[in-house]
Amino acid sequence: MDNVASLMHGFSVAISFHHIALMIAGVLLGILVGVLPGLGAPNGVSLMLPLTFSMDPVSAIILLTSLYWGALFGGSTTSILFNIPGEPSSVATTFDGHPMAKQGKATEALSLAFLSAGFGALAGVILITVLSSWVAGFALRFSSPEFFAVYFITFASFIGLGGASPFKTIVAMCVGFSLASIGMDTVSGSVRLTFGFDVLLAGVSFLIAVIGLFGVGELLLTMEDGLSFRGIAAKVRLGDVLRTAAKLPRYWLALLRSAAIGIWMGITPGGPTAASFLSYAMAKRSSRNPEKFGKGEPEGVISPETADHAAGSAAMLPMLALGIPGSATAAVMMGGLMIWGLNPGPTLFTDRPDFVWGLIASMYLGNIVAVITVLATVPLFASILRIPFSIIGPLIIVVCFIGAYTVAGKPFDLWIALAFGIVGYAFKKLDYPIAPMILAMVIGDKAEDAFRQSMIFSQGSLSIFWSNALVSTLMGIGLMLLFMPLIGATIRRMRGQAVSRTA
Amino acid sequence: MVTRLWAETVVALFTLAYGLTIVWGALEFGIGWDTSGPEAGAFPFYTGMLVALGSLATLALTWSKRLSGRDMLAEVVLDGERIHRVASFFLPILGFVILCATLGMYVATVVYLVFTMRFQGGFGWLRTLTVAIGSAVFFYLALERFFHIPLMKGPLEAALGL
Repeated sequence: MDNVASLMHGFSVAISFHHIALMIAGVLLGILVGVLPGLGAPNGVSLMLPLTFSMDPVSAIILLTSLYWGALFGGSTTSILFNIPGEPSSVATTFDGHPMAKQGKATEALSLAFLSAGFGALAGVILITVLSSWVAGFALRFSSPEFFAVYFITFASFIGLGGASPFKTIVAMCVGFSLASIGMDTVSGSVRLTFGFDVLLAGVSFLIAVIGLFGVGELLLTMEDGLSFRGIAAKVRLGDVLRTAAKLPRYWLALLRSAAIGIWMGITPGGPTAASFLSYAMAKRSSRNPEKFGKGEPEGVISPETADHAAGSAAMLPMLALGIPGSATAAVMMGGLMIWGLNPGPTLFTDRPDFVWGLIASMYLGNIVAVITVLATVPLFASILRIPFSIIGPLIIVVCFIGAYTVAGKPFDLWIALAFGIVGYAFKKLDYPIAPMILAMVIGDKAEDAFRQSMIFSQGSLSIFWSNALVSTLMGIGLMLLFMPLIGATIRRMRGQAVSRTA
Repeated sequence: MVTRLWAETVVALFTLAYGLTIVWGALEFGIGWDTSGPEAGAFPFYTGMLVALGSLATLALTWSKRLSGRDMLAEVVLDGERIHRVASFFLPILGFVILCATLGMYVATVVYLVFTMRFQGGFGWLRTLTVAIGSAVFFYLALERFFHIPLMKGPLEAALGL
């Protein structure tokens, strides 16, 4: 097995005192970011990114991915103890996790959540190990039209499967694309869409957008709801953890099903949030006693947690192998790779095998480090939420704006971050999806280049997207995903007619 | 009091205006075909167009629901109390950004935290000043000293010679 050899080489890159220390630091920062409302994983990664510009790429990506794992764990902690999801993807964990905690089973709920999350993450990483070089090899055959078709699939699935109004998804996405085209045009070299403002010459950074949309916007929403923490104290004892771990194999079916859902949603850009909700719904539907869900059913904690983390790690596969991020956080990380001078996509596997396999190996280690760290530090982080929000909220704001300034050292970015804060608040309030907007900002340039190059090949004819079997299949999948809601509605209507005729 | 209907309408009009602005900006660079392929304005033109069309569709959908009486969209998305809470959080942030641009980020951090903690949160002076000055010092040490990333500075830092 080629991949196993590569992975072993990866471990030799990843295992060093320096890297393990970075993992622990990343996980701790991540838990902090995940615990604090308003500071999520995408935001945490954006804030840390400017600090990694001077690091070597392997160390930098290890720090950022560890931060991501930590944030996912931190989000579950607050869901269970405080009934406040620290991350959107841990909303589903509150349904049964918090009732369990209220019944005095906080330790059991936390251990279940962390262990099943670790299982989900490992399932995702194993998939990456097995499939990534195959996917990358397959993608080496891609040329511009195929790449454009894959971008099309990504965005079509947001529209077709996203759950939000398709028009709102289109608006959010195309706002992202148009923001990405501000500034220097890489093909013609002309400066576009600055409307005469010099501050826009360098474009609008997606990092500023993430900080504004996810940080400031989220906090405005949190403040509007009038936040109050009523937490449940938890001490995690080793004995309890082991006892819970011994119970885990009993839920093998839920674990496997949730991991599969998570992996699927992570590779397609459904993302961890959709994965956790879907997994919870599936667990409830297939359970023998669905009435127990919502009242502290362990399976209601295991299912969303496993899927959440499986999706989180599986989202790295399309990012590495195709250059298409599967979640908002992966989008930010991919932006980071490009800033470090790496080119995410199939060629990364041949150009920088050290980086790719070091990263994959670090995902195994990072998740193990994360489970241990989070179990050890839960009481500490839970106590952070006892600090009144009137201190924490403004501090997060300060961190966000200082983070926005450190991205490029431009004072005008503070105003852009503030504007994105308002946009994020309004968009979230009215169910405009934010993730497609970030994805569009990150891969906007690449999508545009792919489109323009395809047009150059074909002398301006759209028929190039149907010119061979590969690109036609990809475009076909994209169109099917795009019209999924329409197809579904038609089938339902036809079935409805059939039923009324037989009845 | 803001109802869903008006919130949807205002946001859709805003995105419509944004989309049209992009379309207008793209026209300047040509949206057709030149010797080297599609012109620089083509891609932004179509994305701006999609933003505008999507906004129009949202507007049409919102108002058709209302006019046909299927859904009056009369639920209140923002009442007086909520507006007050959001504004009392947002306005200090606005002040903070203005202070950052004029007095530098360290002074702005201290002033902003003192305002929110002492005058909005009702904490004692000792606790307030500890947190406010402590944060500014922490950011100074972490960013300027450890990571060598300078933040915006104002007249105070110049006077102190930092």
